[in-house]
Amino acid sequence: MAEAGTVLYYIVTLFAASIRMAVPLTLAGLGESFSERSGVLNIGLEGIMLSGAFFSFMAAYITQSIIVGVIFGCFGGLLISMIHAYMSFKCYVDQVIVGIALNFFSLGLTSFLFMAYFGRTTTVPQCPVVKPIRIPLLSDIPIVGDVLFNQDIFVYFMIFACFVSYIILYKTVWGTNIDAIGEHPKAADTVGLNVKKTRYITAIINGCLGGLGGAYLTLALLGFFMENITSGKGFIALVVVILGRRHPFGVLFAALLVGAAEALQYRLQTLGSGLPSQVFIMLPYVVTVIVLLFSIGKSSDPAALGISYKRSSR
Amino acid sequence: MKYTKELVSTLIIILITFLLAAVLIIVAKYDPGMALQSFFYGIFGSLHGFAEIMVRATPLILAGLGVSVAFSTGFFNIGAEGQLYMGAIAITFVGVFLPPMPPMLHIAVAILAGFLLGGIWAVIPGFLKAKYGVSEIITTIMFNYIAINIVGVLVRTVLKNTESALPYSPVMPKSLSFPLLLYPTRLHGGLILALACAVLIYIIMKKTTIGYELRVVGFNKRAGTCSGISVYKNIVLASLISGGLAGLAGVSEIAGVHHRLLEGISPGYGYIAIIVALMGRNHPVGVIISAIGLSALQVGANSMQRQAGIPTSITSVLMGVIVLLALGKNIMFSGILKKMRIK
Repeated sequence: MAEAGTVLYYIVTLFAASIRMAVPLTLAGLGESFSERSGVLNIGLEGIMLSGAFFSFMAAYITQSIIVGVIFGCFGGLLISMIHAYMSFKCYVDQVIVGIALNFFSLGLTSFLFMAYFGRTTTVPQCPVVKPIRIPLLSDIPIVGDVLFNQDIFVYFMIFACFVSYIILYKTVWGTNIDAIGEHPKAADTVGLNVKKTRYITAIINGCLGGLGGAYLTLALLGFFMENITSGKGFIALVVVILGRRHPFGVLFAALLVGAAEALQYRLQTLGSGLPSQVFIMLPYVVTVIVLLFSIGKSSDPAALGISYKRSSR
Repeated sequence: MKYTKELVSTLIIILITFLLAAVLIIVAKYDPGMALQSFFYGIFGSLHGFAEIMVRATPLILAGLGVSVAFSTGFFNIGAEGQLYMGAIAITFVGVFLPPMPPMLHIAVAILAGFLLGGIWAVIPGFLKAKYGVSEIITTIMFNYIAINIVGVLVRTVLKNTESALPYSPVMPKSLSFPLLLYPTRLHGGLILALACAVLIYIIMKKTTIGYELRVVGFNKRAGTCSGISVYKNIVLASLISGGLAGLAGVSEIAGVHHRLLEGISPGYGYIAIIVALMGRNHPVGVIISAIGLSALQVGANSMQRQAGIPTSITSVLMGVIVLLALGKNIMFSGILKKMRIK
C-alpha cells in the first residue's frame, strides 16, 4: 500500500513539474502562433525569450518587485520582436536571417549587460520568485488538486491565455483576418485588410508573450540569470508551434509533452544511475526531434509563411 | 555609381557599429580609450595577433564554406556547430581506436572520417527536409545540442583518458597533428586545408554541373524540377557537403589546436559560420574575407577583455547588428544617401 502511495505521489509531482516546464514553451508558442498565422516566421523567438528573461531578472533584482519584473520581461521580448518586425516589414529582409541575427544580438546584449553589471562574482545574484497560489477547495481534491490548483500565477495565466487566444483566433473576425493575411496577403490587402498593421500587432503579441515565457524562467523556475539561460527553449517552442499546428490548445498539449521530457530529465539526473548527466540533458532535445517526426505529412503551414509582403510586387 | 553607394553604405555600417560599441562600453562604465587601443593592438600589434586571427579564421572558413553551400541550395543549415563537434569526435575515434599508421595516411583517414561523420549529422536533417518537408532550421539546431551532449558523454565514458580524473580524451598521436606553419605561434596546417577547400568549393559550385544543379535548386525549386533536376537529391547532397565541411572544421581544431577531445572546443564557431556565409554572400572568396574579418573582431575583443575587462560577448551584439544593417542597408540608408546626393 505504502509502495503504491509513493509511486502515485511520484507521478503527481512529476506531472506538476511537467506543467511548470511547459509554461515558457506554451506562452512563447502562443505568441509565435499569432505571428505565424499572420504569415511571419520569427526564428528570433529564442532571442525574444532570452531578452525577456534578462530584463525581467534585472528589473526584479533591482526593484525586488515581481510585477515590475513581469512588465520588463514583456518589454524585453518586445524589443527583439519589434526589430524583427521593422526589418522584415519595412526593409523586406528574409525573416529567417533576421531571426538568426537577432538571436546573436540578444545573446550578446544580455550576456554583456549582465557581466558589465555584476562583474565576475562567485555568488549568484538572486531575484524574488513567485510563490504558488493555493486555490481553496479545488486544491483539496486528491491528486488532481495539488497538480492543477496549487501552482503559481503564471500557470493560471497560461491556461487563461490559451482560452483567450482560442477565442480571438477562432471566434472573432479579427482572428479570421489574421489567417487570411497569412494565407494570401495580396488578396487580404485587396479586400481592405491592413496587412502591415495586423502583422505589427501579432508581432507585439509575440514579443509580449515570448518575453513572459522568458520571464517565467527567471521569476519562477530559477530565480537567477546566467548567460544563454534559455539554451534552446525558444527553438523548442517553435517545434511546439509546428506540432500544435498553431492551435492554442494544440500548443499547450505539445508543450506539456516536451515539458514532461524535461521534468523527467531532472528526475533521472538526481536518481544516481552512474550515467553522465549529459545523457539526460539531451533528452528534451531528442524528444523534440522525435515529436517533430510525428508532424510529418500533416503540414498546415500558412501559405505565405516567411514571405515578406511588398504591396507593389506581383 | 553603384560602387559609390556600396562604399558609402559600408562606411555607414562601420561607423554605426563603432558608435554602438562605444555606447555599450561607456554605458557599462569601461574605459573607451583603453578599449580602442587594446582592440587595435590585439589585431595589428604583434605577429602573435596575426597568427591568432588566422587560427580562428580556419574553422570559420571551413564551416562557413559548408553553410554557404547549404544556403546556396536553399537548405538553412544552422547546425554547423553540431557537425563540427561530430568531426572532432570522428578524428578522436581514429586516434584512439585505429592502429598506428604512417602520418599522411593517418591524417587522411581522420579527415575522411571527420567529413563523413559531420556529413551524416547534416544529412539526417537534409533527408527529413527533402523527403518529408521537416523544417531543417529546427532539426539542425536540436542536433547541435544533441552533438554537444554526446561529446560530454563520450569524454566521460568511451573516449575518457583513464589516467586523468578530468573529462577529456587521451592526447592524439603525433601523426594526427597538423604541422605548425609559423613557429612559435599556433598557426597550423589547417589553414591550408581550409584554403584548399575554398578553391575546391569554388570549382564545384561555379564550374561544374553538380554546382549548377545545387544552385538552381536554391534559386528556384520549381524551375529545377521542371528541367529535370532532382530537388531531393540536391538537398541531400548539399547537406552532406555542408556538414562534411563543418566536420573538417572539427578535425582541424583537434589536429591543429587542442590535440585531444574535450568539451567546449568551439566558442560558437558553427554559429558564427552562419554570419560568415551571409556576409560572404555564399561565395568562397567572400567567405574567406568575412571569416578573417569576424575572426579579427574576436581577437580584438579578446584583447579588450584582457586589457580593459570588457566582456567578449560584445562581439555577438556587434555581429548581429552588422548582419541586420548589411541586409537592410538599401532601405535604411536611402534617406541619408539621398541627402548626400548619392544615387
